[in-house]
Amino acid sequence: MAVMFSREHILSAFSAAVPIMLGYVAIGLPCGILGNTIGLNWLQVALFSILLYSGAGQFMIPNMFLAGSGVASITASVALVNTRQMLYAASFAPECASTPKWLAALFAASVTDESYGVNTARFAEGNWSVDRALMVNLFSQTSWTLSNIVGCLVGAAVDIPVAIAAFAMTAIFICLLVTQRFTSANIIAMVVAMLGVYLCKAAGLTGPAILIGAVAGVAAAILFTTLRKRPASPEGEGRR
Amino acid sequence: MSWGEFWFVLAGCVLAMWACRVIPLFLLKGRELPPRLAEALGFIPPAAFAALVANDLLNPGMFDAGLWPAGIPLVAAVASALVAVKTRSLLWTALAGVAVYAALAFFAV
Repeated sequence: MAVMFSREHILSAFSAAVPIMLGYVAIGLPCGILGNTIGLNWLQVALFSILLYSGAGQFMIPNMFLAGSGVASITASVALVNTRQMLYAASFAPECASTPKWLAALFAASVTDESYGVNTARFAEGNWSVDRALMVNLFSQTSWTLSNIVGCLVGAAVDIPVAIAAFAMTAIFICLLVTQRFTSANIIAMVVAMLGVYLCKAAGLTGPAILIGAVAGVAAAILFTTLRKRPASPEGEGRR
Repeated sequence: MSWGEFWFVLAGCVLAMWACRVIPLFLLKGRELPPRLAEALGFIPPAAFAALVANDLLNPGMFDAGLWPAGIPLVAAVASALVAVKTRSLLWTALAGVAVYAALAFFAV
């Protein structure tokens, strides 16, 4: 068993986390500024960053509050958007199977879209472990929290167009998307997911659009592989 | 936002978030994943990232007021995708995306 949290592990986790950390400075600052505009102080922004730790969620809260939404509606929408985290956590189950419970729980509690992408790629390459994955998460979260606090503190003093700064998050998602493997099943998952999001929004289901779209994409890809496999592997497999 | 509203939103969002992040892992933990389930889990990243990108870029009626400036995010997204394919770097993609977006927004005014 390799030594966990060794100097070598810390360094490799840090170098894997650097792109996320810099990206989080770019999106954490405008997120903190946005928090400041609805009257949150640095401590409240820090609590959101440490406990909730959700870029999409922390952008939604001030945006919805400014748009006049009530707290119950804000909470429900953020919770719905974040249900996609279930999919991420579940996908790390094999890697966490032989990990101490506290370590697995701490790791799962700090997974984000971006660190999920980075850690999934590292686990796929091999020579990666849950302690390093956890440190990637914690380095990223530190950057996110500090950037939010700084953004909140300087909030009133600077005038950064939030839409432009927030595009950093979109660009990160685009990078994570185009670095996926473009197998026919994956392409079906992508197209159906995008279509699902668009149709949800058209139907007024803005909050759960990401979750419904993603689940529809996964379901379509499963259906596709099931139909494709059928001739090659007759009933035998199903009965086991 | 008042302190009362703040605590309500914080507690609600955090409880929902932790439930989503931690519970699935422990439901699956210690069990061998069936190959079909492992394959299905592999479809989560492409589907989830496609959904997130679509959520940021696509809105019904986005071109109601004309193709421009509504097309700025889409052009910036294509530029980001090209940089992502070439560099495979989150940082360069984020910087390029924001730079193109800012340049287009500057010239659109």
